[in-house]
Amino acid sequence: MTAETSETVRQSTGSYIYGILPEDVEVSSDATGVGDPPARVTLVRHGEIAALVSDVGLDRPLGTPGDLVAHERLLDATAAEVPVLPIRFGAVMTNADAVVAELLEPFHDEFRSALEDLEGRAQYVVKGRYVEQVILREVLAEDPEAGRLSQTIRGRPEDATRDERIRLGELINQAIGDKREADTQTMVEELAGVCELVVIRDPSHERDAVHAAVLIEVDRQDELEQVVAEFADEWSGRVEFSLRGPMAAYDFVMNQGEVED
Amino acid sequence: MQPPAVSKSASPMSTGSGSGLADVIDTILDKGLVIDAYVSVSLIGIEILTINARVVVASVDTYLRFAEAANRLDLTQTQGQGLPEMVEDLTHGAITDKSRGVTQGVLEAAGDKLREMVGEPQDRVRGQRRRREGR
Repeated sequence: MTAETSETVRQSTGSYIYGILPEDVEVSSDATGVGDPPARVTLVRHGEIAALVSDVGLDRPLGTPGDLVAHERLLDATAAEVPVLPIRFGAVMTNADAVVAELLEPFHDEFRSALEDLEGRAQYVVKGRYVEQVILREVLAEDPEAGRLSQTIRGRPEDATRDERIRLGELINQAIGDKREADTQTMVEELAGVCELVVIRDPSHERDAVHAAVLIEVDRQDELEQVVAEFADEWSGRVEFSLRGPMAAYDFVMNQGEVED
Repeated sequence: MQPPAVSKSASPMSTGSGSGLADVIDTILDKGLVIDAYVSVSLIGIEILTINARVVVASVDTYLRFAEAANRLDLTQTQGQGLPEMVEDLTHGAITDKSRGVTQGVLEAAGDKLREMVGEPQDRVRGQRRRREGR
């Protein structure tokens, strides 16, 4: 790859960067990345590390669903095999030479050491969502004011009961928030028993019960599945679970000086 | 009773649905190494479509939706209910189920929004230009 560029000429392609990984890997020839048609993915190597890149045209905005899925799919397929430091979506450098000179070379040791820490490990995301009818019943039964308000609005038009509805919804939202906090805490304690690191993610939905990313040895995936299955069983009919992974450790790589929020 | 299945999508290939895309957005737009922190000279500014999908903010709309969901609840399990009321509830259910698909959550809606953006070129002007130029 010898993309030639000049400072004065407006270039039409750049090197899109997906992640950093060890040098001793191969990219299958059918691996594709962002763009339409999807670009071929290659490695730019330097020392003991490499960057996963593809050429990207600069004439159209990035961020279509296809681009987003391509970025994650490539990194997650990679993470299932080798350690990889995922780069946030949308990073483009001028060309492959610049990737070496400005990214791989100056930060070689730092990246290599982070990759060693990730060896044999991957991220998984656990998400549990309350079943609406069940959680609403729970809240109405537990909160006397909410129970009363639900009787007040029952069968009456929205316009005539707007204040009561807003108050009821607020109570429900608050009650679900409290349940989320308690249930997340319970589950995270169990997850911490099998996982090396656990990060509680912000809820992605108003009925989220649990949303957490974990870092675990890939060999212990069955233990993680076991924990999730136990909760799915215990909260059967109340919370629906999904477990995604192995994926790249998006939630566990941080820039220097960055503080987990 | 069968416990809910734990679904694991080992291959993100299958995440074509709205919520699958939402999971992707949730992960790769907000997390991972920010390259700007490392590189300054050779970064190229490229337009990234504006995707604002993650924020769950409780609003009056949320409250009204919860209240309506509570209103739709079939309470026969917890108390006696006359037949007319039940029939009314069923009717309500039939009507509101339709709107539920639209308003179920921020994320699903965001997935729709994305598809709209792709489907309608004029929407791309909403794209936000992020300029990163060499010094």
